[in-house]
Amino acid sequence: MKTVKGNQPEWRELPEIPAGGVGGVGSGGDGGVPGDGPVSGDALAEVFVKTLEAIGGSAYVVSGFDRIATILRELYPRVGRVVTGCPELEGFGELARSYADPHELEDVGLAVLGAHFGVAENGACWITEDRMIERALPFIAQNLVLVIKKKDVVANMHVAYERIGGMDGGYGFATFIAGPSKTADIEQSLVLGAHGPRSMTVFLVDEEMSDAGFY
Amino acid sequence: MRVGLFIPCYVDQFYPQVGIATLELLEKFGCEVVYPSNQTCCGQPMANSGFEHLTKGCNDLFIKNFEEFDYIVSPSGSCVLHIKDHLHSEGVGVEAGGGGDHGVAGTEGGRGTTIPKKIYELVEFMTDVLRVDAIDASFPFKVGIHQSCHGQRGLKLAQMSELMAAPFSKPERLLKMVKGIELIPLSRQDECCGFGGTFCVAEEAVSVKMGKDRVADHLHHGAEYITGSDMSCLMHMEGILHRQKSRVQVRHIAEILNSRL
Amino acid sequence: MKQDHAGKRGHAVKEDHAALADTFNKDEARVNWHDETLWWIRQKRDKAAHTIPEWELLRETASRIKDNVLSNLGGYLEQFEAAATANGVTVHWAADAAEHNAIVLSLLRRHGVDKMVKSKSMLTEECHLNEFLKEQGIEVIDTDLGERVVQLAEEPPSHIVLPCIHKKKEEIGEIFHEHLGTPAGNADPQFLTHAARLHLREKFLTRRAALTGVNFAVAETGEFVVCTNEGNADMGAHLADVHIACMGIEKIVPRREHLGVFLRLLTRSATGQPITTYSSHFKKPRLGKEMHIVLVDNGRSVHLGRKEFRNSLKCIRCAACFNTCPVYRRSGGHSYHTAVAGPIGSILAPNLDREKYADLPFASTLCGSCSNVCPVKIDIHEQLYKWRQVLVQSGHAPLGKKAAMKTMTWVLSNPSVYRGAGKMGRWFMLNAPFTVNNGMNPWYKQRDMPPVPKQSFGEWYKKNKK
Repeated sequence: MKTVKGNQPEWRELPEIPAGGVGGVGSGGDGGVPGDGPVSGDALAEVFVKTLEAIGGSAYVVSGFDRIATILRELYPRVGRVVTGCPELEGFGELARSYADPHELEDVGLAVLGAHFGVAENGACWITEDRMIERALPFIAQNLVLVIKKKDVVANMHVAYERIGGMDGGYGFATFIAGPSKTADIEQSLVLGAHGPRSMTVFLVDEEMSDAGFY
Repeated sequence: MRVGLFIPCYVDQFYPQVGIATLELLEKFGCEVVYPSNQTCCGQPMANSGFEHLTKGCNDLFIKNFEEFDYIVSPSGSCVLHIKDHLHSEGVGVEAGGGGDHGVAGTEGGRGTTIPKKIYELVEFMTDVLRVDAIDASFPFKVGIHQSCHGQRGLKLAQMSELMAAPFSKPERLLKMVKGIELIPLSRQDECCGFGGTFCVAEEAVSVKMGKDRVADHLHHGAEYITGSDMSCLMHMEGILHRQKSRVQVRHIAEILNSRL
Repeated sequence: MKQDHAGKRGHAVKEDHAALADTFNKDEARVNWHDETLWWIRQKRDKAAHTIPEWELLRETASRIKDNVLSNLGGYLEQFEAAATANGVTVHWAADAAEHNAIVLSLLRRHGVDKMVKSKSMLTEECHLNEFLKEQGIEVIDTDLGERVVQLAEEPPSHIVLPCIHKKKEEIGEIFHEHLGTPAGNADPQFLTHAARLHLREKFLTRRAALTGVNFAVAETGEFVVCTNEGNADMGAHLADVHIACMGIEKIVPRREHLGVFLRLLTRSATGQPITTYSSHFKKPRLGKEMHIVLVDNGRSVHLGRKEFRNSLKCIRCAACFNTCPVYRRSGGHSYHTAVAGPIGSILAPNLDREKYADLPFASTLCGSCSNVCPVKIDIHEQLYKWRQVLVQSGHAPLGKKAAMKTMTWVLSNPSVYRGAGKMGRWFMLNAPFTVNNGMNPWYKQRDMPPVPKQSFGEWYKKNKK
């Protein structure tokens, strides 16, 4: 430690963090929605969906949890054990409680969890431990679904961390999840489904939407 | 405008036509050009090999030869960059002679040199100082531009592909003024040719492979001539072209800008 | 296809970069494949960077944050230790590789663990942890797919982000056939990845200890971030009783909000993706389980004191410099015979062992591309030049080169000698070309000598202008 302190160079000021735009697929022009003006929630959600799809995930804008259940039944007819952290989906899957041992979750085919918000520039969702129920769950399940509110999509990582700072920072573990697990280690061929879930879907719940999908 | 002409050692020995073209070009644009006959080298081969501490002799000789001019111009990006970054006089000024090893580089106790501020590579001199916007030359051939690394990234002769910034190219701008010329595109705009100084023999395998790949890029796009601001890069690529018995030739940019049918 | 000269883990290397690169270049088709693959990754990085109009501003910001970190490294480390400890994480300090390895070993012994899973950590490569633990009877399974491939092949990784980029899929297929029982001849990436998924899932579920690296550690909150695309760090850590995280002391960032800058730059620079699939923030251990973090110095504090070289400690291990380096692409990571290869490796390794790594700063043309892609603006090409001066001064230049340089200096400092030598050289090339065009001349191996003019420029000028 003494060496470290002895060898430190002169103090250099911390810079300000730029506000940043939305860089990302599908945001138009050369890729950036400029960060200086307010961008509509709808536009952000649109960028989020396009970006997530470009990285191997899927996204649906829905009116509520009934729609989620319906769609999931179609997408995963034979997925086996379903575990969920969303009380609204109690009938659809096993409502996650705490588990004595994460190994109990080894055979989970589908995990459906609520996340806090999405990030438009990279298609990621922020989820903390309390919503995972068990830390291993979003990783050990063969397929993952996260649910956020459509209005909870922020533009970029700077805004994301502002938001995290405003939330209770007391999490023991939290993560950004962007799409399904993947690798390109074999001759740069992209394969979805490395060690984590093989598919990843985000539902954006739009409270203003009617059940039939209109406004 | 008194311009001291600095001709790199290998250009002096192997490519005098590049020196001649440079001199003629500068005179065409109104410069009084003088070639100090006692010049040798900028010291870069030693410095890049880790022997910067041996370059005092070269540095002093350089300062002695060139200090007096308004500008110093050279047809070599890497040599000019080396002088700009690394030339300094040590301790006592050159005139005083002898015993000059004690001082700090170019600051207190020593006579500093103004050379780094007034030395230019040919393309940057023509663009930024002479502000050339028309050239009476003709070169009706397909030409590929090799962006030599030191000129591009060091002297900012052209935009670097790694940076998110507006594109520009000083050599391209000048070449476009030449009648009949057709500039070909490349797959890799600014990849290094592999010469690198002593690297060309110390890491021969990689150096040649890099040169072959650069040449292949130009050939693939139909170049009849490969040009650039650094004869060292061109010499290396020429060596490969000749070994391949190719009809494609290299020409220093000075030769093209100075050419007539 | 096993790499036997430089490749074996833990064996001393006798050949230098030039010799190893020469061997690598014997298979030109393979070099083309390696070069094009990595160039493609550089292009993906460019594409991703273009989507961020403020990219250059982000680089500048990241660079200045890291400058600030280095200027207060001691303070931030203390802050981190206090915060992490308050969170229930046990913080260990290791002065060097040996101490680091001993700490990891003692933690495993304490828990009676003899089998462990490990996610990517270049630091543990630097400390040769795997070999050390193996000698102590502890099995380490590298769970990153690329790392598992090279582990099974008994080679070190050749790239810090894409460990087996030097391997063709047929070769990986053979390795998996031999070790995982996949059908012979199957080289389908999808199939092979799935086989690895099953094989490693069994490890995750049965191992009680997991070791991960650390991408960023936040001084303010005591949390640390691990980024993976595969999810292997998480699969290991959340199923284990003991999670050991190893990090170099320079991986600190001051506040959590700074992660936004780095996470925007890291993966775009590395692979062109907007972000890794998982950016996991570890803060507290699971109830009843243990989380440890080992802070490793291993020469970093000494390097911090070197004005000309300390910037290399800003590195966030993205490998953008590898992908853009024309020399790396045509020589491969193993030619650098060190844990972290490429341009950044060439300025970090000599700090660890000057004798062993004196060749690396010379394995470059100083083109400067690396410095331009570096997300934290490390002046890599300038440090390569400075290392050359240092290594020659401290006596690590080969004797032959020294003599040649002294001669060159003498010739070039004396104009009449220079002119005479030039004239003589040209005479020989014109009249007795065999003296120069032969096997002893390394230039001549694959290139013709330049054409010989009748007179030098100096001679022409004297005749025509004076």
